[in-house]
Amino acid sequence: MAAILDTIISVWTTHQITLRTIQHLQMFSIALAISIIIGVALAILVYSNPRLANVWFNVLNIIETIPELALFIFLLPILGLGEKPTIVACILYSILPIMRNAYTGLAHVSNEYIEIAKAIGLTKNEILLKIRLPMALPLISSGIRVAVVYIMGIVTLGGLIAAGGLGVPLQAGIYRYDIPAIIIAALWVGTLGVIFDFIAWVIESRLARRFNPW
Amino acid sequence: MVALLPLLDAILQHLTLVFTSLAIGISLATPLAILSVFYKRVSYVVLTIINMAQSIPSFALVAIIVPLVGIGFVPGIVAIVLGSIVPIVKNMYVGLAKTDIALIDTGKGMGLTDLQIVRYVRLPLAYPAIFAGLKFSAVIANGIAVLTAIIGSGGLGRVIFEGLASFNINKTLSGAIPAILIALSLDMIFSIAEKKLKSKSVY
Repeated sequence: MAAILDTIISVWTTHQITLRTIQHLQMFSIALAISIIIGVALAILVYSNPRLANVWFNVLNIIETIPELALFIFLLPILGLGEKPTIVACILYSILPIMRNAYTGLAHVSNEYIEIAKAIGLTKNEILLKIRLPMALPLISSGIRVAVVYIMGIVTLGGLIAAGGLGVPLQAGIYRYDIPAIIIAALWVGTLGVIFDFIAWVIESRLARRFNPW
Repeated sequence: MVALLPLLDAILQHLTLVFTSLAIGISLATPLAILSVFYKRVSYVVLTIINMAQSIPSFALVAIIVPLVGIGFVPGIVAIVLGSIVPIVKNMYVGLAKTDIALIDTGKGMGLTDLQIVRYVRLPLAYPAIFAGLKFSAVIANGIAVLTAIIGSGGLGRVIFEGLASFNINKTLSGAIPAILIALSLDMIFSIAEKKLKSKSVY
C-alpha cells in the first residue's frame, strides 16, 4: 500500500501533474467559454432563418467528422504549435453541439408563449431575451455538456502538439514505456473527464427542472 | 515528395483498423443491446458504464491500453473498439427498446417468441437508429485509428506522427488528407444507408 502511494507521489512530482492539470483546465475553460459565446451568438443570428441555419450546420458537420489530429495538422501552419491550435480545434468541434441545441431551443418555443408575449406588447428583441432564451436554457446546457466532453478529449490530445496539459505525461509515459506514469495519468484524466461531465449533467438537470414548461 | 506505395499501404492498414474494429464493435454491441432490452438490471449497468465511458478522453483510453494489452496492431484494435462501441450500443438499445407496444403485442398474438419478435419486429424498425449509431461510431473509430499509431498500430496516424517528428509538413498532410477523405466518405455512406432504411420503415 505504502509502495503504491510512493509510486503515485513520485510520478506526480516527476511529471509535474499539478502544473499539467492547471494548464489543462486553463485551456479547457478558455475553449469552453469562447465556444459557448460563439455557439449561442450564431444560434441567435440564425434562429429565425432555418435555411441559413442549415448551411451552417452542414459546414460544421463536415468539421465534426474530421479526425482531431488531422485538424491539428491543418491548423499548425497557420497557428504554429502549442495552445493556440489546440484551443481553436476545441472551439471548431464544440460550436456545433452548442449552436444546434441553442438553435432548436430558440426556434421551437411553443407559439402560445410568443403570441402572449406579442399581445402584451413585447418587441422581437424582448421576446428573444425574456421568453426564447430562458426557455432554451435546458437545451443549451445539454449542448454545453456534449461540448465539455469534446473539449476534455481534444485538450488532452493537445499534449501531442506541445500545448502542455495532461496529454504530456500520457505521451511521455507511452514513449518511455513508463507504465506507472501511463496508469496514473490516464486514470487522472479519465476521472477529470467523468467529474466534469457529471457537473455539467447536474447543471443541465437543474436548469431543466427550473425552465422546462412541459 | 511522398512515396506513393507506402502511403497506399498506410491507407489500407488504416481501413483495416477501422473496419475490423467496427465489425468487432457490432458483434459485441448486439448481444449487449438485446440483453438490455429484456433485463432492466443489465440495461441499467450497461447504460451507466457506457455513459461514463463516453466522457473519458480518447487519448487516456489509448494510453491505458499499453499496460493492459501492450503495443501493436491488436492493442490498437482494442482501443478503437473501446472508444467507438458506445454509440453503437446506445443507439441499438434505444432503437430496440422504443418499439411501439402495439406492434409487439401483435407479434405475440401471432405466436412469435421473444427472440423472433426481436428478429422480425424490433430489429427492422430499429435499423435507422442503428445506422445513425454506426455512422457516429465509424467517424469516432477513424479518429482513434489515427491516434493509435502512437501505440504502434500503424495506419495513417503513423505517417502523421513521423511527419510531426521530422517537421515535414508535406508528410503530415499526406497522412491527414486521406484520413479526412476517409472520414467524409464513411459519413456519407452511412448517411445514405440511413436514409434508404428510413424511407423503407413504417414510420
